[in-house]
Amino acid sequence: MSVVVVGLSHRTAPVEVRERLAFADADIPPALASLRASGLVAEAVILSTCNRVELYAATDQDPAAALAGLRRFLLDSRRCGAPLTTELYSLCEPHSLEHLFRVVSGLDSMVLGETEIAGQAKKAYDLALRARATGRRLNRAFQRAFNVAKQIRTETNIQRGSVSVASVAVDLAGRIFETLERSTVMILGAGDTGEKAAKALLSRGARGLVVTNRSFERAAALAAELGGRAVPFDDWSAEFAQVDILISSTAAPGYVLDRARLEPLLPLRRGQPVLLIDLAVPRDIDPAVNLLEGVFLYDIDDLQSIADDALRQRQEEIARCEQIIRERVRGLLELPPAPQRESTLSATPSARRTAAC
Amino acid sequence: MGGVSGFTDRHYFLLAVIFYGVATLYAVFLWRRGFRQDNRIIYILLLAGAGLHTLAMIKRGFSFQRCPVTNLYEATTFIAWTVVASYLVFGLVRRFRFLGAFAAPLLLGLGVFALMPELDKHGPQPQFRPPASSLHAAFVLLAYGAFGLAGVAALMFVKQERDLKYNKTRAALAFLPSLQRLETVMMRLLQVGFGLLTLGLLLGSGWLKQEKGVFFQPDAKIVWSLAVWLMYLILLVARGWFRQGGRRFAWAAMGTFAFVMLTFWGFNLLSDIHHP
Repeated sequence: MSVVVVGLSHRTAPVEVRERLAFADADIPPALASLRASGLVAEAVILSTCNRVELYAATDQDPAAALAGLRRFLLDSRRCGAPLTTELYSLCEPHSLEHLFRVVSGLDSMVLGETEIAGQAKKAYDLALRARATGRRLNRAFQRAFNVAKQIRTETNIQRGSVSVASVAVDLAGRIFETLERSTVMILGAGDTGEKAAKALLSRGARGLVVTNRSFERAAALAAELGGRAVPFDDWSAEFAQVDILISSTAAPGYVLDRARLEPLLPLRRGQPVLLIDLAVPRDIDPAVNLLEGVFLYDIDDLQSIADDALRQRQEEIARCEQIIRERVRGLLELPPAPQRESTLSATPSARRTAAC
Repeated sequence: MGGVSGFTDRHYFLLAVIFYGVATLYAVFLWRRGFRQDNRIIYILLLAGAGLHTLAMIKRGFSFQRCPVTNLYEATTFIAWTVVASYLVFGLVRRFRFLGAFAAPLLLGLGVFALMPELDKHGPQPQFRPPASSLHAAFVLLAYGAFGLAGVAALMFVKQERDLKYNKTRAALAFLPSLQRLETVMMRLLQVGFGLLTLGLLLGSGWLKQEKGVFFQPDAKIVWSLAVWLMYLILLVARGWFRQGGRRFAWAAMGTFAFVMLTFWGFNLLSDIHHP
């Protein structure tokens, strides 16, 4: 029995196609039952996320025939009449297992190395397990995949550093403050990126949020949405003593905060550091404030450069991750009793996609 | 004690210093790499050094049937041992593991200084009488060890703070503790060190009363010790009451410990009580 996979992802198909083939959670158990009842496969797992729809299956049949049947099943069950030629990929061992390990480890994700996919794969596997759609072959493959993802997470730098501006802001706060649970965040100007950064900080436990904007109504709306407090724009400096992280993204043509304005406010903070994140273009905060003790200023270029560097570092780790995956797949395939080796339909990523649909 | 036949405690200490030296070289490599990923090698090198260092101290203690804190060699090795032992505890926390890269040069410096033959020329003969004085010396030297590690944490703070301001990518990707946590560690170490120093000085004063009938004598080392005590008191008060934290606090912790290390041996030699 060998493991095969048919699917499509953000790499091969646009969102309009992905959403047409996506499975809702409730649709998965009947789909698994119907797939097994067809006699095409003995075991199956359906992984359906916003970035991919994949059918993993263990089959006794000839892999090429099984893959053709799975493609038909996928399109028929989603009532997709369009002839998807390049969007779908079909893989058999060992590439199917390598692909599974790569997916679960976040190597095939839109944000390289992200961990959310591991949770989604676990959920998909649990769903199949509860539906009694898995057996010895897929159980072993998925458990090994989760194990490999953990190994990659601990032994490589694939998840190190933050690759988005919002998460870089959170990371920087973690470099300065002992815990975010005692930190108060202020949003100066209710821009979209500022809002994202504030949300990221709040999700990591930031204690309080103060929102200020030239339009008080907009500030009040955002504060209500995020569970914070709105203050009038002219009064924001009165709140500064309590603020640990200030995210500024106003449309002001000049500096909103400069050294002359900040210096008298610092003694009110009684030696506590303050992180200033300037997301505005043109900048809201005079770079000279970074020279003040206890003040740490980052503008949008700083944040982007950190995110780019982290991404570069992650990309440099891909070879190490692939090596681990190859070794672990080899180990899995050599487990007794030795599974029957299948010839591969495709050897390179570009050749993975099959025209049959 | 067990060990290689013919090896004296100084041989074991020399081996420990070699490990500290290797750790220092490795620290240069880590520094250049920007402390980007968790790394156990520095911890393992210092653990090996600390093992040999402990063996050297135990061997000397058992050989001479006393606590090895009676001359400059022993005092310096005891301070270094306190630093490395405290680091090994802190290093169990992953983000503090790189403290070793900052501690290794200090350990190497202390080790090389201790190995200077002049410091141990009286060999096994104690320069002052145990056991009350040994307890006094042990507390004081433990205090200097705690101050030493606080200085190391302060160095780490200064580097991290500077990187966060001017070398932002390096700071964001470094695997180091947060500034506030480093400051807390510095403060706690200084508090522990100050408590130990106070206790050590009180024991020393009690011993003086017992031996010479006075609580205080204008001896160079005693005056110097009181000055050190006062400097650390000012440092703690400034931090606690006046919130003088951050970079200035870190520089002050480093500067005060540098003063202690640079003047300790000199005042020891000037002291009639400590260097009869």
